[in-house]
This record gives sequence, structure tokens and C-alpha cells, in this order.
Amino acid sequence: MLGSASSPVDLSLSRREAVGGARYWRSRQGALVIPVLVFLLALYVYPLSRLIMWSLFDPELTFQHYGKLLDDPTYLKALRNTLETSFGVTFFSLLLGYPLAYLMVIVGPRMRAVLIAIVLIPFWTSILVRTFAWVVILGRNGLINQAMIQVGLIDRPVALIYNMVGVQIGMVHVLLPFMILPIYGVMSRIDRSLIRAARSLGARPRHAFLQVFLPLSLPGVFAGCALVFLMAVGFYITPALLGGPGQITIATLIEMMVSDLLNWGFGATLAVVLLTVVGALFIVFSSLMGLDRLTGSRAV
Amino acid sequence: MAGHGSKIKRRDFLAVTGAGLAVGPFFHVRPAKADKGELVVVSWGGPWNEALRNVMFKDFEAQTGVRVRDDAPPENAKIKAMVESGNVTWDVIDTDMPAILSLVDDNLLEPIDYSKLDQKKLNNIPKELHHPYAIGHKIYSFNICYNTDLLPKGKHPQSWADVWDGEKFPGGRTFNFRGGVSPQLEVALLADGVPMDQLYPLDVERGWKSFDRLRPLVTKWYGSHSEAIQLLSNGEVAVGCTIGAETITAKRQGAPVDVEYNEGKLSSDYWSIVKGTQNPDAAHQFIDFALAGDRQAGMSKYVPYGFSNSEAANHMAPEEAADLCSSPENLKKQFWWNVEWWGEVGPDGKTPRERLAEEYAAWMVKGQ
Repeated sequence: MLGSASSPVDLSLSRREAVGGARYWRSRQGALVIPVLVFLLALYVYPLSRLIMWSLFDPELTFQHYGKLLDDPTYLKALRNTLETSFGVTFFSLLLGYPLAYLMVIVGPRMRAVLIAIVLIPFWTSILVRTFAWVVILGRNGLINQAMIQVGLIDRPVALIYNMVGVQIGMVHVLLPFMILPIYGVMSRIDRSLIRAARSLGARPRHAFLQVFLPLSLPGVFAGCALVFLMAVGFYITPALLGGPGQITIATLIEMMVSDLLNWGFGATLAVVLLTVVGALFIVFSSLMGLDRLTGSRAV
Repeated sequence: MAGHGSKIKRRDFLAVTGAGLAVGPFFHVRPAKADKGELVVVSWGGPWNEALRNVMFKDFEAQTGVRVRDDAPPENAKIKAMVESGNVTWDVIDTDMPAILSLVDDNLLEPIDYSKLDQKKLNNIPKELHHPYAIGHKIYSFNICYNTDLLPKGKHPQSWADVWDGEKFPGGRTFNFRGGVSPQLEVALLADGVPMDQLYPLDVERGWKSFDRLRPLVTKWYGSHSEAIQLLSNGEVAVGCTIGAETITAKRQGAPVDVEYNEGKLSSDYWSIVKGTQNPDAAHQFIDFALAGDRQAGMSKYVPYGFSNSEAANHMAPEEAADLCSSPENLKKQFWWNVEWWGEVGPDGKTPRERLAEEYAAWMVKGQ
């Protein structure tokens, strides 16, 4: 592949040769796509099409799996659970993430480095470990309940896990960086002189923020929300460990179908429906909110 | 552990096998062939295999000159591939009844030649565990497991009806969500007053109704036995239904938990012989060796699972035996899992295991 172009000799390429190299590859653009195309076709498109086939053929063409899904309210309810949980997580992540991202932009470089580290450190720990840590903190005999009992706020432990509260706390904690980083990325590119201009034209700080800074930061907000929502929809470990029976998600049911019941056809159907719903939501998101601006296909 | 955790793993293995078969041609894996003079015994790995090595294999090798190699796990798909390709490298396997029934269906096991086993040992093993293709050796049970800080021993729930009684025995409950509906349905029926010897065939409707009454008491439907033990150990719940042996392990490590064996659901793991083994004689010789009471007692000391040979109790301290599900007193208080009922294919082409697991998911999601 391209490996040969980066041998030590090439480091001494003159500018003219480098430009020549670029020209060489420009005429062969298609070839650059081949590796990733092969990768995606073999490891993504093919399995995905098998998944769709499983949901439709058993072994002959049948819509029984889809019929069952519509007949039995269980699965639609689990789908609704999943979407509600994901919207909640997205909302709370935004509520916590936006101010922090803003803080990261306005502080000095040293403080900023500290904040970025704080945001990124959770990435270094496995989700499983972090989720179990919440069990220790939020449990009946956990830190929070014990502290509140000691202080006298409550006289018996309150349920902080094995319900929606636990799921939201656990998932927001895991997904928060995915909200903060895109917002921070967009905010740091906003030309701050625009704010000064607004101020010098008489805008109060609040107005300068709401009417100039906030709208300019929205692409980051949309990107963060889309990212967090999409990841939340497929979350499995955290709702399974921190949730109660009310928080059964579609991912839990897919896992049960595939590995407990070996009903791959129906498991595949649930997966395809989830994929379709998420895909549809994503299309709506991006057409309403202009996600394409983020990928650079439209100017910010 | 060698217990239920590994059973969940088996299902994962089934899922992974598909992928394994797909990439198979790229990796030429050639397992060492089980030649004469060598026996391959396949079990669940981890501490259990370690115990097998120390308690069984070493002395068996010394006594017979047959070298024993171990492998894990005894995955059905792998046995099928071996038998069908005519390259059988495994001889003896250690697995549970659902796996054995499905292997028998596919004609992948040798019948046990009971004339090659010591009649005295066989007489000490419950008749329920003598199967034409398998002989039971390791007993485990689902039991009433409780936190001794919240429900001190003596004042703890002693029947499933007690577990269902949230007034007399306050505190959260934990029951399993994953891994099927047994023993939940069985114990729901016991809680509702069905006598233990009249459980099967299960009255499913009545079971669900009884289960409805349990629902408000349940804090957490657990996904793995280690999760259940954790919930019980740190007092998140007062009582739950999980494998007694795992709870005893936690108790021995100092956790405030204990087991009530009354009305527990007994099942067993079995020794079986793979179809087309090169060493049928050595395989029988090993099984006979492994069924001895002192050997089984040795295993129970490593991992607190029950022995099938009642004579094993003579080789351990009485209080040690009392902690095991298979001690004579505990055995009397429990019932045997009816695998046939759960595995019988109905008119809809599904077994109760499959059908009821889906109903269980529906019950779970609906009733919030």
C-alpha cells in the first residue's frame, strides 16, 4: 500500500518531488479508497446484510419476526424505554457538558489542560469498572446513603440504583466526554472578537452570549447530542447493572434472544428495527440541525 | 467458577462458534491427538480444572500409567465437529444434562458401560443420576441464600413461602433474569403451596400468578451469579435465589451470607464419553476412579459443590459436609430438576425453556 512511500529515504523529498507525489496520487484517487472499502465491505456491510437476511429468511422469506414484534407490546415497550433513556441521558449530558465546555474555552491554557485531563481520564477506565464503582457509591450501604443517614437527612436508605436514577447517573458519567469534546471543539474555533464587537456595539454580556456565542456554538451542541444519543441507544452494560426491571432496553432483549434463546432470527429483527429507528432519527436530526456543517461540507 | 457462570459462557461460545467457523480456514489449528496411553478430560476450566488436576489426574496417572490432559470448555459444537470429521481428540467430558440431551440427539456420545464401573460406588449415587449416556458426579442447587446481618440465621426464611412474605421477612429480594426461567417457576409454585413431589409438570399459569406477588419485593433482577452474591454480601438485598455453592464460597471468604437448603432445586453435572473415542477402556477406568467417595470429597474441599457419591461424606468433617447441597440431610430437603419437562418440544416446535424465557421477558417488561 502506501507504506513504501514513507520509507526513510522519502523524508528527504524535495518540495517539488512531494508535489509530484501528490499529483501521482491525485490521478489514482480511487486506489486510496480501496483499503478502507475492503475493510468495510468484509467486516461491516457483509455481516450487516447477513443480519438483515436472518431477520427476513427462516429459511424461506417470512415476515413472522416483524409480525411478532408488532404483535407483542413487550418489544415496543423496550424500544420506548431505550429511546426515553437515551433522550434523558442526552439532555443531562448537555446540561452538564455545555457549561464545562464553555469554561474550557474561557480559562487560561494551563487550567484548560487540567480540565481536558479531567474530562478524558474516565476514558482510561473500563465501563464495567466505572459502573461497579457507582454500585458502591449509590448502593443502600453506599457512600451517599451512609453520609445522608449520618447527617440525619434521611433515616433509611433511598433507592439510588436499580432504577432510572441509577441508569441516568451511570450513563451520563460514561457519555459526558462525548458531549463536551465536540462542543469544546466548535467553541474554541469561534472568533472571540465577534463577542467584543457585540459588546462594543452596546450588547450586555448576557445578550452577547445568547445572540452571538450560543448560536455559533450550536453545531457543536448538535454534534454532541447526536453522538451521545446514538451511543446511548446501544448501551448495554450500564442499564443492565444499574437499572431495575423498568429499565430493560432493547439491547438487553437482543442479547437474551441471541445468547440465551439462540433465536438469531428474532434477535436480528430487533437489531434491524433498532438500526432503522436510529438511522431515521439521525436523518431527521441532521436535516433539521445541519450536522453536515461539522463534517466540513458546509462552512461553519 | 466451575458453576453456573460457565454455563452462561457456553452460550456465548455458541455465538462465537459461527465466527470461528468462518475464519477457520485461515488458522490451521491441529490439536494434539489423543494417542493410546493418553486421556483427554474436558471440563469447565478455572479452579475446577485445577482441583481435578490435584485430586484426580495426578493419582490416576500414577496408578494406571495413562497420562491425562485437560481441556476446556466441553462445547457441543466442537464435539460435533470432531465426531463428524472423524478426528476425535476428546475422551471424557464433564457437562450438564441439557448439553448431554442435545449430544445424545445428535448421536455424539458413547453409552456408558455400567458393567465396567464399580457397583458399590454406583449404589451410593442417586438413581436420578444414572443416565444411559452419562453418570452424575457434581451436584449443585439453587437455594434460598440470605444476608445474615439482615436476617440472622434461625430467623431467616426457611421456605419459598417465607421468601415471598415481605412482612415477616423485610428487605429486598434478588432473582435471576438471565439464563432461563428455571428455577424461578418451580420456586414460585412451591411458594404458592404446591408440594415438592408434585411440582412437575409445572402449572405455568399458577407460577406466573405467584410470581406477580413476588415482583414488588425484588430490588434487582440479577444477570449473573456473581452479581447475586455481591448484592447479598453487601446487603443490597436480604435474600435471593442463586447457587448455594457460590454463596458458601463467599461465606468461607468472610461474607455475611448463608444458605437455606430447604426446597432447593438440585441438578448435576455428569461424566460422559465422546463417540468414537480411541480409549473407551481408559475412559471408563477414569470415570470409575473419579466416582470414588474420597476423590469427590477432595473436590468438594476445593470448590464447595456437592458430591454424588454419598460415601464422600465419610471423608470430610461433618460441619463441612453440612454446608454442601449433597449432604444426606440437605439432599432430602430438595427436589431434582426435571430436565425432560423443560426440554420437551411442544406442538409449536419450541421447548418450555424457549417458550417460557420469552414469556418471562414479556412479564418483566410489562409489569413495571
